[in-house]
Amino acid sequence: MSDPLMDRLASLPDAPPDAVRSARTRALSRARVSVRAAASPASESHAAHGLWRPAIAVLGVLYMIEAMVMALRIYG
Amino acid sequence: MTRDHELALVARLKTGDADAFDEVHAAFNQRLFTFLARLARRRDVAEDLLEETWLRVVTHAHRLDPETRLGAWLFTVARNLHVSYRRSRFLEDAAVETGLGLWPSGPAQASPFEETAASELEARLERALATLPAPSREVLLLVAVAGLDHADAADVCGVTPQALRQRLHRAREALSLALARDAARTTPGIDQVTPCPTR
Repeated sequence: MSDPLMDRLASLPDAPPDAVRSARTRALSRARVSVRAAASPASESHAAHGLWRPAIAVLGVLYMIEAMVMALRIYG
Repeated sequence: MTRDHELALVARLKTGDADAFDEVHAAFNQRLFTFLARLARRRDVAEDLLEETWLRVVTHAHRLDPETRLGAWLFTVARNLHVSYRRSRFLEDAAVETGLGLWPSGPAQASPFEETAASELEARLERALATLPAPSREVLLLVAVAGLDHADAADVCGVTPQALRQRLHRAREALSLALARDAARTTPGIDQVTPCPTR
């Protein structure tokens, strides 16, 4: 159902933003998008998985060995 | 913009496609500015908030849900920035009908649109819109001016669609009343009309 008041609101004119500032913001944002694309999440996560997962596994194994040595000293 | 095209743009934004960003910027920049300028009622503030909106968009684009509705997301970012801005300025609206003290509005000022309104009717509408409290103004701007559907506008405002419809109804009534008041103030009564001099 048409509402004259809402129709009048919809027909209010737009005021354009400052063209120079808009262009600068667009360029800045575009540059950030490109930088983010270059350092893609895939390569970041691959690097992270490549380093942290083995390190955590090694630390876990060392912890378990130390715990077993301690247990053998006390109870063995 | 069709839904398929919108989904494709979201997918491209997630991968850091700068051309996709350009397309989104071209489609929404003016609409977002219009929304922010009428909400903030100050051109300089609207320019600042618009810039911050796009920088936030770029920062968070890679974490977008693939099903994101771009319009609702962009207007949510812009609207939240405006709310943060008003909170930071410690301005509150004393006339908020919902009684939420956190809703800011501040004193009514002439909007950039009011100053350039082409017709008297537009000027009256701009003046009436500027007198409404922020929650009423924003719901009218989102639905009637920005053209969001009720579901998207409800997402932007963080309310249910039913609550949004109620808020929209109240906002429309408030605008109608403000227009009537404006007309009464600007149109002289019959006793105030100066008769033409007779010869």
